[in-house]
Amino acid sequence: MTSKPAARGFALKATWNQHRGKVLEQLALEGILARLRAWQAPSDVLTWTRFLGSLSLVLVLLLFASGVFMAFYYTPTPGAGYDSVQYAQYHVVFGDVVRGTHHYAWNLLLVVLGLHMARNFLVASYKAPRQFLWVSGVVVLHLMPILIITGDLLPWDQKGYWTTQVRTSIIASVPIVGDFMARLLRGGPRVGVIALTRFYALHLLVLPGLLVFLLAAHFHFLWYRGLSEPRDKNRTIRQPIPMFPTLLRRFLLLFILSTVVLGLVARQWPAPLGDPADPTDSNFIPKPEWWVLSLNQLVTMFTGPFSVIGTVLIPGGLAALLVALPFIDRSPERDPARRLQTLLIAAAILLVLATLSAVGYYEHFMKPVIPPRIGR
Amino acid sequence: MVRRNGVTLVVALVVVLVSSMVIMAPWKAGAADKQTVKAAFVDQAPTALDDPAWQKAKVAEVPFEGKEKFKGKKVNVSTKAVYTKDSVHFLLRWKDATRSVTKGAWQYDGTKWSRLKGDEDRIALAFEIDRINNFATKGCTVLCHGPVGAPAKEFKLATANTAEKGDLWHWKAARSAPYNSADDSWVTVAGEKTGRKNDAGGGGDVENQTEDKSKPLYMQDPAKKASVPGFLLFEEAIKITDYSIFKAGDTISYRMPKKPSGSRGDIMAVSRYSDGEWTVMLSRKLDTGNEDDVAFTPKQRYSFAMAVFDDSGDEHSYDSEALSLEFDK
Repeated sequence: MTSKPAARGFALKATWNQHRGKVLEQLALEGILARLRAWQAPSDVLTWTRFLGSLSLVLVLLLFASGVFMAFYYTPTPGAGYDSVQYAQYHVVFGDVVRGTHHYAWNLLLVVLGLHMARNFLVASYKAPRQFLWVSGVVVLHLMPILIITGDLLPWDQKGYWTTQVRTSIIASVPIVGDFMARLLRGGPRVGVIALTRFYALHLLVLPGLLVFLLAAHFHFLWYRGLSEPRDKNRTIRQPIPMFPTLLRRFLLLFILSTVVLGLVARQWPAPLGDPADPTDSNFIPKPEWWVLSLNQLVTMFTGPFSVIGTVLIPGGLAALLVALPFIDRSPERDPARRLQTLLIAAAILLVLATLSAVGYYEHFMKPVIPPRIGR
Repeated sequence: MVRRNGVTLVVALVVVLVSSMVIMAPWKAGAADKQTVKAAFVDQAPTALDDPAWQKAKVAEVPFEGKEKFKGKKVNVSTKAVYTKDSVHFLLRWKDATRSVTKGAWQYDGTKWSRLKGDEDRIALAFEIDRINNFATKGCTVLCHGPVGAPAKEFKLATANTAEKGDLWHWKAARSAPYNSADDSWVTVAGEKTGRKNDAGGGGDVENQTEDKSKPLYMQDPAKKASVPGFLLFEEAIKITDYSIFKAGDTISYRMPKKPSGSRGDIMAVSRYSDGEWTVMLSRKLDTGNEDDVAFTPKQRYSFAMAVFDDSGDEHSYDSEALSLEFDK
């Protein structure tokens, strides 16, 4: 005996089955759906050894979703920008959770992309024929700081304002093109309403569009070049699994888990929102964020005529090295034990960056400082 | 196999998330570089200055710097705050060598009336109802906007434009304390003079003087016992019909507190002066629902500033820097 709702459900399903072919044909989706259904992936896709790429995608999706939500409330003008973010965070239902999710998602994305890259470096999956899979991934990683930098200014709080002021000053110090680039970003000598409009357009339109394009390129290479083979020769024959429903289920599990965990974290520890920006308050000293500590130390170390070393040559050289890695290290060898030279160079670079970060952490967060405000 | 993969995936994800949060922890606090008063949550609102609820709150020693005649002097106000699910409470304690509660009282010398010297002690708290540009960094300094050419004394406390709105909680030893309240007013753009407006409702005080300003107009109603000894409340006063009843040395209040009501009476106050120290407790609903009051949301951080007046008028005060008010979870 079936209940009335269940009977209605069966009737709907029967109607759908009856008309599905026609609907899909009308929408010209039949071929795509058939290809997706037939698509299979190696069984170790999205397992504990290979989940960082999928987690990155989950975080990007969460960033897009939370960003769209915040855009509904945001006003891109100084002052009103702060008010709108404050309103969305404290007066809109789940506004704090959404903004917090956005905040923690980009922090986590940097970590996950770093680990994703490290894993692929260790197992040498950047080697032929997957060079451009690596290159597109590295470019995505390099796009993240630009997204973060443009997003930092949008709340128009003290930290965002003064951090942007410092960052654009660093850009301006780059010889020849620096001043032009800084003026292009700021629209003037200082960060103001034009800078906010430009950062807003970059953060909401240009950079997400570029990110989608780069991710499409990354998946294009992944689709045609496939996942790297496991190093364990006994496991080279991998049973394929269907995209529907197995892979989709794993992805949904990851998505739901990430959303719930980030949502809970955001609820418990809301995203920071400082005081409204005060361009006349030069006492405010912004502290560098964790991901930029090493670069910040480089800027501090090289001053005067040598500043270009810390602002352009070393960071640019490292970025170029990462992009060019598959074309420098062209041997087919993937066993870490037989790539000691490459691994040692990478470890040395990491050690230097970690040391710089540790020194930066000490100087900005542990070293006692004399408060800048000593009365009016 | 699928189940094992699921479990390991969850474990790996949790490890990545937790380790990332640990890395990010120092940056979580944001950029609060100014002094913060943290309001502790209590189940029961404090009803007295020595209520055990105050033990839950951490004290913030807020430094104040003197202005005008107090220039170069400093005062510290020990500040505590607690909140319940619907109210917020401040406990403020500061040193003051003299208890000043007269505010220019009348005194009769046997032949004529004259006004005694002496003002009153006060403490004022200013919050933002609608964001006031740079109030969060500069405090009350930014509330000095008046008509072009107007002397500063006349436009004390005004915002730069109508979009900015401040909330002023003003405890006055002579004029609001007798009614166990703090005067609730709000600050907007300056009109002809000040931008300070009284909240809707009744309250404040009435000047006790005849039309020619030569003597007091009111006295304590002999039919009523003074509910606050030493103070002449407007509701307990009657017009003086026979001045011959006074003898040399008699004093009468010059400013008569009126019973606060409506939005103007939102802020309850309990105060005590002992051992050369004022202790004042201010209590208000988190959200009064009135447009002329700041509405507190415990998730949010608020900027505020304070001023202490020691037997002095508006321009002679001790001012704090801009402060933050945070509600602990």
